Amino acid sequence: MNAMGFAWRSLVRQPARASLGVLGVAAVGALLFDMLLLSQGLVISMRDLFERTGFDLRVTATDSLPGQGPLIPNAVADAQAIAKLPTVRSAIALRFANASILNGGQRGFYTSFQGVAGTGEHPWTILRGRDMGTGAELVINENISTRLRLEPGARVVLRAFCTSEEQALPPVPFTVAGVAQFPFDTPNGATLATSLEMLANACGGNESDDADVIMVASQESAGPAAAVADVAKLLPDLRVLSNAEAVNRFERGGFTYFRQISTVLTTVTLSFAVLLITVLLTVSINQRLGEIAALRALGFSRWRVVADVLCESVLIVGGGGLLSLPLGGLLAAGLDNILKRIPGIPAQVHFFVFEPGALRVHLLLLAATAVIAALYPIRIVARLPIAATLRDEVVG
Amino acid sequence: MILRRIVIALAAVVTAAATLHAADDLPSILISRQLSESEHIAVGDVVRLSASADGTSPRPFRVSGVYEPTPDPARLGAVIREVQLHLPDLLTLTREPGIPAGSEYVQTINVALVDPADAAAFSREIQARMPGVSAQPATGAAESTGPFLVLRRFHLAIAIVTIVASTVFLLALTIMLVDERRAAVGVLRLIGLPIRRIIVQLFIEGALIATIGSLFGLVLSLVSEGLINRFFQWRYDTALVFVHVTPEVAAICVAIAVPLGVSATVVASWALLRRNGLRLARR
Repeated sequence: MNAMGFAWRSLVRQPARASLGVLGVAAVGALLFDMLLLSQGLVISMRDLFERTGFDLRVTATDSLPGQGPLIPNAVADAQAIAKLPTVRSAIALRFANASILNGGQRGFYTSFQGVAGTGEHPWTILRGRDMGTGAELVINENISTRLRLEPGARVVLRAFCTSEEQALPPVPFTVAGVAQFPFDTPNGATLATSLEMLANACGGNESDDADVIMVASQESAGPAAAVADVAKLLPDLRVLSNAEAVNRFERGGFTYFRQISTVLTTVTLSFAVLLITVLLTVSINQRLGEIAALRALGFSRWRVVADVLCESVLIVGGGGLLSLPLGGLLAAGLDNILKRIPGIPAQVHFFVFEPGALRVHLLLLAATAVIAALYPIRIVARLPIAATLRDEVVG
Repeated sequence: MILRRIVIALAAVVTAAATLHAADDLPSILISRQLSESEHIAVGDVVRLSASADGTSPRPFRVSGVYEPTPDPARLGAVIREVQLHLPDLLTLTREPGIPAGSEYVQTINVALVDPADAAAFSREIQARMPGVSAQPATGAAESTGPFLVLRRFHLAIAIVTIVASTVFLLALTIMLVDERRAAVGVLRLIGLPIRRIIVQLFIEGALIATIGSLFGLVLSLVSEGLINRFFQWRYDTALVFVHVTPEVAAICVAIAVPLGVSATVVASWALLRRNGLRLARR
């Protein structure tokens, strides 16, 4: 019988402790797996979201996030100039404001309000109806449609807030052209969009060519790096960020907290697992010293009994590790649901995202745990004095 | 009501830092430590501030001090470049041309009450008397906001998973430890000790081990509290406290850990004690 078969029989002989050991590793492994998913989940999710919008570059007036810094003056002309660059496929200018839909009662229904101009596709997906055309048309998100019972063709009157909520701008009528999904919408967020010109009108007609951000799609043959260089050369006063740079900046921002906490919990979880499996194996080995000495006396080599202990550790950690994957998946879904309630998090962003790299690291860490946890029991077995142990057993 | 302090943080742009000698007649400002370090501005320096991004219409100010910003979890990871001005100076700096002085507004008024216990009643009264104004007691405001409630639930969920994993391991360990003493328990049974007496002994043993383990855990958490706080404070350049082991938290941990340890010992022993004494003592 080989070492693995022998270790299996040793575990099966004591099913309660073996099962509990495997279950313990499964629970710890699930937590470990989730922490690995959390460590990069938000960044991967944000990168996916950026890429799904179809734009590679973001051009802003300052280093501030779009909507939080000053407007880009003459952004429509800049977007047109950018779109003509050979490395660029299309460019759109986006301006962000807020609005109150006055159909929603006396105080109105508060929403974010976007205006877009340029040659590229709009950064939203039409769910019902059609995209906005020229004139006073807009698209609304599903939350507005549900809350205010608005469908394509409905008329709405809204009051825009463009610089501060203390403004008293006149209400403006619009027609709903379609219902759309906006990539950065929060689960309960209300968003509507129209053309940049109509937004500027709603904002009182000032700064009609200004925008918060110009979003640029690079030519596939050129790639985003070449487009970044070209746009930066064309508009040296503006800040140009590729998706990768934006994700990098995001990674360095406040949400690094989750990466740090995942590192701390991964370390604690692994130490916990190593300690407990070491104790489990050591106690188990101590109870079987006589048996192991007898096997040695019967001709089992030192390496063979060491292999038995190592295989026992591998079986416990391996069994628990396998169970930890579905358990970790379920736990990640639950924890993701909890964290997604943080206000301002887009509905399509997830904190726990599966990637093959996380699974590889998980398996590597579990393998290392199995080996490290077996080191001390292996030492006991390897140094076991055969005659003295057998005599002690008989005398005891 | 005593209006003690009105502080407005200005997200102003430092357009230039001059190393001129301080002029006593210039209005004074405080700057954050991070701004002082990043722009190499020291106390006594004269800086020019503008309320617009392009730096138009700058006004000179004398730096009278450098302060450590109040830790704010919502700005974790951000380098806080901040300037504190006297409110009249701020209003003068930000007032649009043609707007008469005195017509400005402020976002927030911080109020210090004579008796802080009146905070809830005071905020209710303000909201009743002044519709449209939101008044909130400062104590507990941070915990009641969305992100902190969510993070608390997240940490609670992690804690529950950790407790489940620990319980399973604890059961496995106690089963082994009790099993190791099978012969001793068998002899105790054979010499006439009733099962109840042996269970009491195991219960006391379990309680002792669980109590010592819990205390060790508390000491470990107090040590790691300092390490974790120091690491994250260094990492984010903040004075924010990330981990705080309060007496309540310590009491909850002990209240969970000790009964769990004792229960695991008794449950693991119970299966053993149901066996015949002779079978237990047999080698």
